[in-house]
Amino acid sequence: MTVVDQPVSFLPTRSTPAESPRPSRGPSTGPTTGPSTRPGIGTNGPALLPLDAGEQYRFSFEMGACIGCHSCEVACAEQNANPVGVNWRRVGEVEGGSFPEAQRFNLSMACNHCVEPTCLSGCPTNAYVKLENGIVAHHAEDCIGCQYCIWNCPYEVPAFNPQRRVVTKCDLCQPRLATGDKPACVDACPTHAITVEKVNIAQWRADHRQADAPGLPPSDITLSTTRIIVPESMPASTRSVVDERLEPADPHWPLIAVTLLTQLSLGTLVATVALHALAARPPGAAGAGAAAGAGALALAVSVLHLGRPAVAWKALRNLRRSWLSREVALFSAFSLATFAYAAASIVGGWSPRQLLGLGLVAIALGAAGTYASGRLYLVPARPVWNSGRTVVAFFATALVTGPLVAVPSAGPGTAGIRLLFGLATIGSLFQLGTIQHLVASIAARREREFALTARLLFGRFRLLFVVRVGATLATTAACMLASLSAARAGAGFLALVVLALAAAGELIGRYLFFVTVTPMTAARRFSGGTR
Amino acid sequence: MSRRSGVSPASWLGLGTHADEYRYGTDERFGVVAESRLPERWVKTTCGYCSVGCGMLIGVRGGAAVAVRGDPDHPVNCGRLCPKGLSEHQTIAAPGRLHQPLMRTERTQPLTPTTWDRALDRVAGGFRALMAEHGPDAVAILSTGQLVTEEFYALGKLARLGLGIRHYDGNTTLCMSSAVAGYKSSFGSDGPPGAYADLEQADCILLVGANIADNHPLLAPRVLANQAATVIVVDPRVTKTAMIADVHLAIRPRTDVVLINALMKVIVDEGLVDTDYVSAHTEGYPELVAHLATVDVAAAAAECGIAPELLHRAALAFGRAERGFVAWTMGVNHSVQGTATVTLLNDLCLITGNIGRPGAAPFSITGQCNAMGTREAGGSSSLPGYRRFDSADDRAELAGLWGVPVARIPTERGRAYPDIIDGILDGTIRGLWIIATNPPVSFPNRRRLEAALAQLDLLVVQDGFETPTTKQGDVVLPAAIWGEKTGTYTNSERRVSLVRRAVNPPGQARSDLDIFLTVAERLGMRDELFPGWHGPEDAFAEWARVSAGRLCDYSGITYQRIDEAGGVQWPCPAGAEQPEGGTARLYGDGRFGTPSGRAQLRCVSPQPLSEPPSEDFPLLLNTGRTVEHWHTRTKTGRVGILEEMAPAAWVEVSPPDARRLRLATGDRVRISSARGAVDDLAVRVTATVRQGEVFVPFHYDERCVNLLTVDEFDPISREPNYKQCAVRLARCE
Repeated sequence: MTVVDQPVSFLPTRSTPAESPRPSRGPSTGPTTGPSTRPGIGTNGPALLPLDAGEQYRFSFEMGACIGCHSCEVACAEQNANPVGVNWRRVGEVEGGSFPEAQRFNLSMACNHCVEPTCLSGCPTNAYVKLENGIVAHHAEDCIGCQYCIWNCPYEVPAFNPQRRVVTKCDLCQPRLATGDKPACVDACPTHAITVEKVNIAQWRADHRQADAPGLPPSDITLSTTRIIVPESMPASTRSVVDERLEPADPHWPLIAVTLLTQLSLGTLVATVALHALAARPPGAAGAGAAAGAGALALAVSVLHLGRPAVAWKALRNLRRSWLSREVALFSAFSLATFAYAAASIVGGWSPRQLLGLGLVAIALGAAGTYASGRLYLVPARPVWNSGRTVVAFFATALVTGPLVAVPSAGPGTAGIRLLFGLATIGSLFQLGTIQHLVASIAARREREFALTARLLFGRFRLLFVVRVGATLATTAACMLASLSAARAGAGFLALVVLALAAAGELIGRYLFFVTVTPMTAARRFSGGTR
Repeated sequence: MSRRSGVSPASWLGLGTHADEYRYGTDERFGVVAESRLPERWVKTTCGYCSVGCGMLIGVRGGAAVAVRGDPDHPVNCGRLCPKGLSEHQTIAAPGRLHQPLMRTERTQPLTPTTWDRALDRVAGGFRALMAEHGPDAVAILSTGQLVTEEFYALGKLARLGLGIRHYDGNTTLCMSSAVAGYKSSFGSDGPPGAYADLEQADCILLVGANIADNHPLLAPRVLANQAATVIVVDPRVTKTAMIADVHLAIRPRTDVVLINALMKVIVDEGLVDTDYVSAHTEGYPELVAHLATVDVAAAAAECGIAPELLHRAALAFGRAERGFVAWTMGVNHSVQGTATVTLLNDLCLITGNIGRPGAAPFSITGQCNAMGTREAGGSSSLPGYRRFDSADDRAELAGLWGVPVARIPTERGRAYPDIIDGILDGTIRGLWIIATNPPVSFPNRRRLEAALAQLDLLVVQDGFETPTTKQGDVVLPAAIWGEKTGTYTNSERRVSLVRRAVNPPGQARSDLDIFLTVAERLGMRDELFPGWHGPEDAFAEWARVSAGRLCDYSGITYQRIDEAGGVQWPCPAGAEQPEGGTARLYGDGRFGTPSGRAQLRCVSPQPLSEPPSEDFPLLLNTGRTVEHWHTRTKTGRVGILEEMAPAAWVEVSPPDARRLRLATGDRVRISSARGAVDDLAVRVTATVRQGEVFVPFHYDERCVNLLTVDEFDPISREPNYKQCAVRLARCE
């Protein structure tokens, strides 16, 4: 592909070497820095060359040349007819130093067309494709609007379009490149701060330091290809200007419901099958029915999270790479198996051993689904989630709630009661462990994402957090006592009360899990707050 | 661009993705673009926001403006635009346009739709009746810098000859009048001497109180491209412009006079004065040197709050420059010493011989798209063609050109903007015609201004949009806006460019020219004032004839020549041998418009702030702009993408002050001065402001900073002192 570009100059670009080079804002010197003189307003930037083997196209951005005019953002929105709020390019701000040497720099970022795009690997529908020329393209028709790519992208590049109910993103103006034009943002930039160039991928893998800049996540995660030319004079203290006013993240209510319900379902099934094993016969249909009901409800609610519920089935398209695809597949299978177990428990015709086998299969599917569900949140772009703790917490939720649901199926005698409250105690203790681990890691980690989560969790949401810890402690104590005393009388009522306590704790915990997470992001701008 | 909202069940289920609305097509000229932005034709025009005067193309499809592009062939912007320009087509169909005349009989009644006939009867009849009863002082006009020159010329004739208005001024007094007065004082005439190309040719650029990166974005690339120049920015804040400087002189507010005197002192002491130029072309040098003898450079640096070495470095860089260029905007003009400060900047250029040559000029960067046009042709602060009210020769010449008795030409300009407001409050002025400006948001000390407007017997407001001003009007006249009418704008470098009607005005809205001609008709004076006029070209032809022989000579300019040259810089006398694009620079011959033909060097001493920080109001407030918005946001507040980027006013607070007040970014505060308060203002903690100073953008009607600003004015230009007043901050609970 060749891009024709004939420089048109109405005035000669000054090429006289500066007596004293601009001290404050000149680009850093190095083998890959920009030209020593800037092209004038009447000239076009450097021509785009055809790709050689092992190369791809990318943006480069010269921070010292950006005057923060935001023309690139408007040009991008006009080019793509994007509605207000759908921004494929955003200009963020970083600031450092103290008056009068303070410096603010703008960071105009679109898609980084990464070498290892996590949007692509996480997408359950394979809506993303990395083209031969390196452009990470997204096909709206294949998208179900799950927005998992937004979580996965450390730069928060993909943008949900509420009218279309799908994610959309920068494609480096691929159709323009194909016809020899430059992207709209590049054409609009009055200072040539944004350009398109090519890069050798192997060399970039070996040294991609220029993908890093204050206000950006570490480039290692996705091997971002955007080359940032950072001014030499940038103060060491330079950082994002809006971090202090971080708002809570979206609670994602359908996801709160889905995760809690699938875990409740798994826990109930585990307890039911455990009673089955204990008594060597199925403990009646109540527990199995509850498990199956919760699982089915979870599947139904899950589509509410999607922009396009009608095409939810497309979520199964990327079993090879996406934990989201796997989660959907495993929970669907789990739900079927649980239904079969519940139905067989009611209808009969299966031997207890066969039924137990079926229950164990269902548990295996549910456990795998819950593992996949937990893994889904282990994304580097959300460091507070990105820990085995998340998976453990999901299983703990299953164990602290499910057995309490199964209490009516506990059967005569104290063994069942002891078993169920015992399981719930274990779950509750594990949950306390995850809370302790969360607090410890927030205290230990210095990254902005942990610091900002701490600010939300121990500041704005302090009261909820205290209630969450209190509910879990009370649940633990109650379950432990009930397990030790194993009183048959009133066990059903006690289970109901403890279940309410445990459920409240888990609900709050899950709410906090979603709202206090701090995503990595490319620096944003201060915009004066609300009208 | 509005879109159908997707709330249908099919849309909610996500059966489709509205792909048809997001298809791409190919424009012959500009390549692949969203199909919804594909026009049937491109109409060549000039941007209607600031005075940089960028060439543009409006894309029209089905009678609607669907896109804009920078004109790649225009010499000012070479195809580039700022974000306001890039979304300017959206203003035309924006919500809040006025579609029909509105009127009310009592202020307590709501405005109701009426016909043009009734509305204009009320305007002409009402103004005449007030003047008949209370005398010629009873009616005033507040105009704008937003109309086309043809309209300004017509309005001037209508006001001065037709209605016999004595008090006629415009919002240009809120932005450029200090530059005008300063030029007149130094050079004997208004008229910015330089050209944008100077920014690329200078080897030292001194930007004083000019945040071009935010306010004139398309000038910044020229500065950045000139890597060989030493760029010095004088600004109390670390603005986006200060950040592209080699030397930033972060002076304390209103110590600019101290600074410039000290710069000149160093230049004189170091023997860097261009004595040949001074002796050949200026007057007052010995007095200036004597005046500067009293200046102590070290003390000046301390008063300015900057390092003495920086001051020396800046002075030497400018003094030694072969081509030194000084540009300024509101940081200089918005001061009670605005005019005096402008004369000092002129001094600085004169003593170093930096005028009339490529890369060398004292250059005021104008604010509005056609503030220059009203200065040249409007007849408010001077008679058309920079003619002086107080010159019998000028009046006689104009009367001859207009074919009227010289007695009908006013001998003085009348009250300036702030004095018109005073006149309303003291009962002298009872009728006011406001055209395309929004005083409640833009005038200092808003409460006093609002009291004045409320007191009027007849307030006529002519605008394209509903604004806080139209809400106060007794008669509201719906006007065509940019993109809906034809005429010319003059940009900061005296380049006359064409603006064209690309689409029809909405509903019954009419061009301002049409409104002025119709009012003249009501007065029975259309044939006398505007003989044979049918459209803007007739107005232009007469104006070009009237301007002949003046500094702002248009006589060689035609619409066709403007089109061919990409704008023509005046002076452009008919028949003169000069480039198609006109005259790039003034005063190349060293002859000035003063009686002696020499430029006048002025001596200026600094004045202290009238309202320094106090115990009650310990912080000094500075006001200004942000790149996304234009003036009082009547247009840009209605463009979704711009409004989303900067939806609300904020206050910038230094980290030490924030610590003391226990404020963090995002907190909400009340800011108050002796005159008023603004609540619920978002805090932005930033080291780009000095301890003890705060900054608030002025664009916002909601959270209006002009509730706080002091109504204090330059004694000569009558320009407000927007940039310094004392305030305090308190957290909002």
